[in-house]
Amino acid sequence: MPATTDTVHGRIEGARIELTPTQAAVGFALVAALGFALLFVQEPMLHDSMHNFRHAAGITCH
Amino acid sequence: MLTSHLKRGVKAGVVAGLAFGLLLALVANPLVAFADELGHEGGDIDGGIAESGTGEHHETDGGHHHGADGGHHGGAGDGPHESVVSSTVTNGVSVLSGVLWGILLGGVVFGFAFYLLEPAIPGTEGTKSYLLAAAGFVTVSGAPWLVLPPRPPGVSQSLPTETRTLLYGGMMAVGALACLLSGYAYQRLRERRGRGAAVLAAALPFGLLAVPTAFAPANSVESALPPDLATGLVGMTVFGQALLWVLLAGAHARLSHHSVEDRPSDVASDRSDVSVTAD
Repeated sequence: MPATTDTVHGRIEGARIELTPTQAAVGFALVAALGFALLFVQEPMLHDSMHNFRHAAGITCH
Repeated sequence: MLTSHLKRGVKAGVVAGLAFGLLLALVANPLVAFADELGHEGGDIDGGIAESGTGEHHETDGGHHHGADGGHHGGAGDGPHESVVSSTVTNGVSVLSGVLWGILLGGVVFGFAFYLLEPAIPGTEGTKSYLLAAAGFVTVSGAPWLVLPPRPPGVSQSLPTETRTLLYGGMMAVGALACLLSGYAYQRLRERRGRGAAVLAAALPFGLLAVPTAFAPANSVESALPPDLATGLVGMTVFGQALLWVLLAGAHARLSHHSVEDRPSDVASDRSDVSVTAD
């Protein structure tokens, strides 16, 4: 087992085997949506709600 | 295997996220609100609308302009403005966002990225977690901050919001690239040229960050805050993010020790490690 997962290439293969394309797509979409919402969304209500968090995290994109 | 890595990453994220949420609740929320208020008053005085001290603002300028615009305050940056939600909502959502921020970073960086990159990250189990945390900090905060340093609230910035969003995202990509190149250079040279040369080569990719930093458009800022308070707020931001990453790495390293201790193959894997380095 360790021999087959010793390289980054092996890990990528491992992820391919363990995840179905749907799972990977859903996971990626969720993460991207959450990341985008936390960092970049400018909608006034969301922006003002997360105002303190964004300042504390050093994100000045608002 | 992937699932156990993801679980461990998310667990570390919960630990660090809760601590960061606590920092937000206890320090950032009151401090940012105070600075906002101070910046607001300063802005009013600058605009020649000094109120007579009742503290009641007549929604003449700032508030209405903001509302009528649909909250669009990109052109003038995030200057003093009335919030469209109550401070309770801001405080609550901010704390929640802080916790989610930790979980997101834990899941993505210490779950997925660690799973993929573990064989390529130099060092032993614990060191790997801290190295990955350093790379994560550079990618998510450090590199973007070279172009757009953290600003205290109530600061007017000259660049429009869209440009700053693109710059921030772009610098995240450059930061990630620099970290990956650095790791790659270290691993390639360590076997052939020894450790010293490898460390030197690993430092070089970070020079890449200077290129976009030099060519990024200037973002001039104006702040009505006292410089000491502004410095303190920026310090809190930097400290908060550094703390978040240290906690992520610490929790991640501890969790991995636990899972290793549980397994009887611990000694065996240690021995094989030793024999590899002896070769």
